[in-house]
Amino acid sequence: MTRLQGHLAYKMGDRYGMHPDDGEYPGTLIIVEGIDGSGKSTQIDLLQKWLNSRNLVTVFTEWNSSPIVRRTTKRGKTEELLTPMSFSLIHAADFASRVHAQILPALRAGATVLADRYVYTAFARDSARGVNRDWLRRIYSFAVQPTLGLYFKVPLDVSIQRINAGREELGYYESGQDMGFSNDREESFRIFQGRLLDEYDAMTEEFGLMTIDATQPIAVQQQLVRRYVEPLLEDAMAVRGQSLPEALGKAGLSGRYIRPPMSRRPTEQEVADL
Amino acid sequence: MDEIKFYGHTPPSVAGEPTPGRLIVIEGTDGVGRSTQIGMLQEWLEAEGYAVTVTGFRRSELAATGINRAMRGNTLDALTLNLFYATDFWDRLEKNIVPALRTGMVALVDRYIFSIIARARVRGVPARWLNDVFEFAVVPDRVLYLDVDVEQLLPRVLAVRQLDHWESGEDFLRGPDLHDNFIRYQSALLQEFRTLAEEHNFVTIDARGSVGDVFEALQAEVREALKGMGDA
Repeated sequence: MTRLQGHLAYKMGDRYGMHPDDGEYPGTLIIVEGIDGSGKSTQIDLLQKWLNSRNLVTVFTEWNSSPIVRRTTKRGKTEELLTPMSFSLIHAADFASRVHAQILPALRAGATVLADRYVYTAFARDSARGVNRDWLRRIYSFAVQPTLGLYFKVPLDVSIQRINAGREELGYYESGQDMGFSNDREESFRIFQGRLLDEYDAMTEEFGLMTIDATQPIAVQQQLVRRYVEPLLEDAMAVRGQSLPEALGKAGLSGRYIRPPMSRRPTEQEVADL
Repeated sequence: MDEIKFYGHTPPSVAGEPTPGRLIVIEGTDGVGRSTQIGMLQEWLEAEGYAVTVTGFRRSELAATGINRAMRGNTLDALTLNLFYATDFWDRLEKNIVPALRTGMVALVDRYIFSIIARARVRGVPARWLNDVFEFAVVPDRVLYLDVDVEQLLPRVLAVRQLDHWESGEDFLRGPDLHDNFIRYQSALLQEFRTLAEEHNFVTIDARGSVGDVFEALQAEVREALKGMGDA
């Protein structure tokens, strides 16, 4: 096989024996998982605020947010063009793009990367749609192994209650309506998310995810999160005597992928709540 | 084919029913004359009374626009492009190719998974991973590979248009000379195609001859592939 020497030599997961720097990066990768309404986004947001308040360099990345892929995904969802396999493949493309342009560079530069959903979301959702489990693990093998994976476990009733109380309406794919479980959106959501819970339960052991009881008060959960994270911060990249954008620039991190850090420190009340 | 066969596991939502049609793939690098030949094959087959569907790269309803948009930018890496192509391919496989095979049509496909795999391989994406990704593809009845030398390719391409950024591998080759990059990239691509031809039993057709000669060679192979069709 011919391989040209370009600037870009792709390295894959351990299965293919080609992980960059043998999978050893100076940075730290912390990911959160859980079904919709589990409260994981709130927790990772609080975590980022805490890390930033300690002047640590954080980079936040979110499922389904690649600037070059997400418009296609969105179109596929709006026009209901997606089937289990195309849903799976387009999300893999989105993830690959973020690994290449955001996650890997940040980890190699030594930053703490916070990911709201990771490959486990694909494993859970796509498996629940009948996509081959082993195939999913093989195609996502280019993913970096997280330093810490937190799974926010919540019973269905609680998640539905939270969604009804706050957020926007349930989406067509979010509630698994493409699978024809039920014409009733809430009923379909219940069936689909129930399947996701089963998938997540099986994965906590397979991938060593730490389970957090997401029915507890927010501050209690956050305390637990910080206890898990604290030991990982020993050598974390910190901002010293310079602005965060400067530090990011020095680490070779710039451009539209890098979200500006939260400038706000937690209020006294928030700190007291912890 | 009659019974649909995949390279690996059977993907959801396409298995089951018999597929009396035929899947015929034309592969080859840019400028080798694929579209001309496919147009002629379609006309001929339709005149013979076969229902034909033609599909090719970046023509899916779902992903075509997105890929074209992404390729205009400069942050598109080989892995993302590959998975984007895989999405486009699957969308056409599921919504066009497989339904056509089920209704007994001849599906003529202008570049299948092999062009996608060859392009990714020269960019350093591991072959085993690529084989894994595309194990959801249907095994074609025939893969007809139009083979040509790189020396022949350049004048053919230049006769109709300028050299293109992606066709010259300029997303990962760093030389200043477009011509040089084109030659290096297309040579590497040809080598990958020849490797794939062995791995997947392509029927290699010498595309250096006249359009008529190449067409005749293709016709003979297609005729073979269509044998027994509609007999059931």
